[in-house]
Amino acid sequence: MEKQIRCTKCSKITSVTGNPGDEIIVTCPSCGAKGKIKFEGEKEFNPSDKLVIFKNVSKKYKDVLAVNNASFEIKKGEIFGYIGPNGAGKTTTIKMMVGLLNKTSGELYINGYQMPDEKEKAHKFIGYLPQQVAFQQWRTLNHALTTFGKLSGMEKNSIQPRIDELLTILNLKEYKFRKVGKLSGGTIQKAGIVQALMHNPDLLILDEPLNGLDPESRYQVKQILRDLSKKGTTVFFSSHILSDVQDVATKICIIDWGKIIKIGTMDQLKYEFSKQNQIELVLAKKADIFHEIKKIEGVESIIERSPQKYLINVGKNVDADEITNTIIKTLMKNKCRIRSISPTSPSLDEVYQYYLRRGVKN
Amino acid sequence: MSLQLIFYDELKGFYKSKVMIALWIIFPAIALLIHYISSLYTDGAISVSSTVSLIVSTIGGLVASIMLTVSIIHEKDARVYDLFLIRPIKRWHILISKFFAVFICVTVAGLLALSLGILSDYLLQNELILDIVLPGIIDSFIITISIIGISCSFGVLIGVISPSVVVGVIIIIFIGQYVEIIPLLPIIFEIENSVGFVVLLGVMVTVILMILSIFAFNRKQF
Repeated sequence: MEKQIRCTKCSKITSVTGNPGDEIIVTCPSCGAKGKIKFEGEKEFNPSDKLVIFKNVSKKYKDVLAVNNASFEIKKGEIFGYIGPNGAGKTTTIKMMVGLLNKTSGELYINGYQMPDEKEKAHKFIGYLPQQVAFQQWRTLNHALTTFGKLSGMEKNSIQPRIDELLTILNLKEYKFRKVGKLSGGTIQKAGIVQALMHNPDLLILDEPLNGLDPESRYQVKQILRDLSKKGTTVFFSSHILSDVQDVATKICIIDWGKIIKIGTMDQLKYEFSKQNQIELVLAKKADIFHEIKKIEGVESIIERSPQKYLINVGKNVDADEITNTIIKTLMKNKCRIRSISPTSPSLDEVYQYYLRRGVKN
Repeated sequence: MSLQLIFYDELKGFYKSKVMIALWIIFPAIALLIHYISSLYTDGAISVSSTVSLIVSTIGGLVASIMLTVSIIHEKDARVYDLFLIRPIKRWHILISKFFAVFICVTVAGLLALSLGILSDYLLQNELILDIVLPGIIDSFIITISIIGISCSFGVLIGVISPSVVVGVIIIIFIGQYVEIIPLLPIIFEIENSVGFVVLLGVMVTVILMILSIFAFNRKQF
């Protein structure tokens, strides 16, 4: 929306544009005087497809910088895997997202609402599973879930069917009327997932959701996350179990010492890693090619893994595609029959270790 | 809506708790025991209801503040509040609900004990003594309710700011005993309407302590 304002000093009329609810500092183009202008009305919902926006967010606890200048965006429907070693700053990031902790600096938006100032509005869209799930011990599981359903604004008649549906999916039906104090750790963790999913939130924030779950439950939870993502729910989850992240996440963010080291899809992370690492070569017949390949510029070493299988280490700044081409030409020239040649596909574990080491060096 | 819901839940939690059940039995039991012992020396000059009133006013406030402090610190440490605070509710709803739940439970426990005392007096003694004793007991109970109010709000404040249960309970026991001085203030300052003065002071102190608790809780990082 556009607004015409008159400078109180020089009376020059200037037009200013902004969104409802915005407060803008305006400088008069004529005399340079500054003033504040507020656009009337409620702030509109975020029309963009970005549900979470982190802009240079930092969190400091006394002398410790738990999150250092973190910037990232999460689009609607993404499953955002947040990985890092213990104490990397994962839980602090999550607590800032849900408004349990205030950021020290930077800007953080959830569905267009600035945190923590507009957290009450943002909370309507959030489902949260803390790292340490706890309910009041005297409640039964059904009582606890009913209360959270009501507090999340669910319709009274839709609460019980939803509880039954989720308890059935997670095999918790038999615990429905048991006191929370009598439930095992794994069951409480699953109950925590149920309370986070109860009100069908747009954004699901899960802090180590698969901790303490048996393999069957892990599979079920991962399946639920995939299904929710297909329906348009955005999922943010932290973990240090890399295989779980690899299975579910559509985007991965690596954090260490409070600093975001790398963000990208699994393929993007792997590509950069493999591009700067190794090429696997399989020949149809054993051949003495060490000498010839070593001559190629960019090749650092060659390892014979088995009689026909070789691992070629290339320099970090070499274009892997180009060097692969040169290797193929050299092999053809030497009349070697190639069965396969490709940059090695690293596991997430290798990628993770690579980026962590690189992050520490930087 | 959320305030009403949390309040009913807290009330349900407290009145069903073992502490409250014990309290409902302990209040009259201690009173009857003390009355029995004292009657051996005073030849039954002190009525049961007076003894009950004394017991309720002495330990009622202390029990209320300890219950609240322990409950809040324990739930804070266990991270129970995380699941409440990420929902669209006001933080102060949690504290106000807890305050009124315990205040009502302890007051009702005291009232029950007092009713039993009055009933005992009615059965054991004649109506005349009851007529003399009853107005004093009612005044004393009104003062006791004010003390319970102050104690509850003090318990909430210590629960919010204290780092551990042990520290919280020590503070409650150490400072809480001075709350018992409040009923004596009208005598010290020679105020005629002692009940009115204590009630007014009770409401004012309770409101101030609750505002401080809410301020501290709102600023708290979880």
